[in-house]
Amino acid sequence: MKKSILTVQISALFFLSGPAVAQQLSAIEIVRKADEKFKGEKSGYSVMAMTIIRPSWQRTVEFRSWTLGDDYALTLITAPAREKGQTFLKRENEMWNWNPSINRLIKLPPSMMSQGWMGSDYTNDDILRESSVVNDYHHEMAGEEIIDGKMCYKIRMVVKEDAKVIWGHQVRWIDKNDYLFLKAELYDEDGSLVRTESGSEIRTMDGRTIPTRIELVPAEEPGNKTVVVIKEIKFNIPVQENFFSQQNMKTVK
Amino acid sequence: MRDNFKIAWRNLWRNRRRTIITSASVFFAVFFAVIMRSYQLGTYDQVITNLIESFSGYIQVQHIEYQDNPLIDNSFEYDEVLSEKISDIDRVTSVTPHLESFALASSGPQTRGVAIVAIDPEKERNFTDPESKLVRYRINKEITEKYDRRDDIPESVKEKLKKNLDRSYSSRARLELEMGLTREESRLYLDDIMRSTAITNGYLSEHDDGVLVSDRLAGYLKAGIGDTVILIGQGYHGSSAAGIFPVRGIIKIPSPDIDNRLIIMTIPAAQKFFGSEGRITSLAINLTGKSKRILKNAKDQINSIIEDGNTVAKTWSELNPVLYQQIQGDNQSGAAMLGMLYFIIFFGIFGTVLMMIAERKREFGVMIAIGMQKKKLKGIITIEMALLGAIGVISGMIASAPVILYFYYFPVVLAGDLGKMMEDYGWDAVMPTAWFGPYFYWQAVIVAIMVSVATLYPRRKIGKLKEIEALRS
Repeated sequence: MKKSILTVQISALFFLSGPAVAQQLSAIEIVRKADEKFKGEKSGYSVMAMTIIRPSWQRTVEFRSWTLGDDYALTLITAPAREKGQTFLKRENEMWNWNPSINRLIKLPPSMMSQGWMGSDYTNDDILRESSVVNDYHHEMAGEEIIDGKMCYKIRMVVKEDAKVIWGHQVRWIDKNDYLFLKAELYDEDGSLVRTESGSEIRTMDGRTIPTRIELVPAEEPGNKTVVVIKEIKFNIPVQENFFSQQNMKTVK
Repeated sequence: MRDNFKIAWRNLWRNRRRTIITSASVFFAVFFAVIMRSYQLGTYDQVITNLIESFSGYIQVQHIEYQDNPLIDNSFEYDEVLSEKISDIDRVTSVTPHLESFALASSGPQTRGVAIVAIDPEKERNFTDPESKLVRYRINKEITEKYDRRDDIPESVKEKLKKNLDRSYSSRARLELEMGLTREESRLYLDDIMRSTAITNGYLSEHDDGVLVSDRLAGYLKAGIGDTVILIGQGYHGSSAAGIFPVRGIIKIPSPDIDNRLIIMTIPAAQKFFGSEGRITSLAINLTGKSKRILKNAKDQINSIIEDGNTVAKTWSELNPVLYQQIQGDNQSGAAMLGMLYFIIFFGIFGTVLMMIAERKREFGVMIAIGMQKKKLKGIITIEMALLGAIGVISGMIASAPVILYFYYFPVVLAGDLGKMMEDYGWDAVMPTAWFGPYFYWQAVIVAIMVSVATLYPRRKIGKLKEIEALRS
């Protein structure tokens, strides 16, 4: 009699956990697929316009950006006029800024990492330290929802204990057909919402379907918003690691 | 009534000594109360004048949010017309625009966060006057060594020079004072020292693109006149601000905290740097008076001129509530001290009255015994007391007036460290008395009230007087 209860319990455990394991696997797979799609191929070139919206004003910064893998990026500001010519270089986990008006190359110190990039809601840290949405989180399917008329997987991601991530957990909505991140809610360690990011205006650019308009809304500052619009994007451009150099920061056009 | 008055007057002079003692107690009460209050009020006045006139101004025009959130985003559109209109308001003595923000200053490998204060070099002369704070003389190692080799300079002067190594001064008087030269040494060597320590220093011209750097900051950045400093910061609406600025002059600010982190530039240069064309963060306004009513009047008038709904005028007490409350608190404790003084004075007066009644008990008994009405006697005593009080109050006021006048025009000069500190800030290190105001009459009124309270006692005593007992005493 005793034995049979145990058997029932064990089988119940299997019965309950079995499908959960299967779902977890598929959640990771979905995120991985979306992440690969989002990050693009080995290298890329893009032209973007970032609009910073505040309750009483807004301004737009335009820039061009070259990337190679996750570790190298070079960004050139092209508008407005008074900021034109500034460049930002990311090499692994260092970030540099070149300012032509003072002829100075500055390494952004850790103390500036939490400040907004070019006055936007994106922090320097966001740009520099893209933690991996695949490797740094435990994934869990949280259902399906429709975002912008598209059926999405809703995936809850809890950060792994040893991961160097400032978030506590995230909820992401991934388009079922194209595996695009359409929406993400980022929460801090106390579980309160910090920001919402959403992608829209899905277009095919350089042969790939991507959201071309990304909105970032900080939760605790009403009226604040940053919108990034991708105007042009190219994948797998011929660019080498030596392109991402301090010398090139001063000459890139 | 006339008779009563005549009797009272004669009574007073019948015993001169007693009259003089009683009125002297009233006299000293008025004299000390008036002078003490005058000093208190005069000192507050001096503090307010010093602090407000040289820092914030009596009234400031700001963006509505600026006080809570002093960012360059909370600046406002400024044009000369507004400034001129405000200047035309009654009692306004100066209108000074400021654009203030923060940035990183860098020169070579040294970088430090600094406060940037952008000014109109001409208008600023009437306000904080940075020109008077320019470093004119500096003692460096080269100079002390040069003097060390000279034979015509006495050891004491050489020592004093060495003691003041690396210090800088903005005037001849400061150098003389801080070096602690004796009169004889000054006469013989001061000109010589002036000549060898003098450095050239420049102020800003109206559309200057250069900066003035505070003395300690310049030392840290190792930037001298003619060098350049790089400023990096965040500009208007989150834009990036960066620029190279030539150093035109070095200024010495007495507060080490400010001296470590101040850069002054012209408003147009700062507007270009921060990308905030046409905007400033504050307009500081000084007035000829500082009473609440004058401030409120001027504030209301300024507010009616300003067209922008997001820009308002605020008085110094609104801008600096902590300072205002400190002064208020200090004023209260001053008033409490005065209250205690009155308490002591009252018992002084009361004591002499008590003595007088005891002395004249027999006299009163005789008067009543021969048929004088108690009511009449009370009247006479009241008149006597009123006369005594009046003599004391009037003579007290007359005697204190020249003292107040004298110390108003020739105030007590503070010596020692406190005096030096105040002079460093460009203030007069003095403790003046306050000019005659309501406080002057009020002390007299209060003392007069005390005298009339003290009169109640003899009146009551006469009322209860038993002739037989009084005659026997």
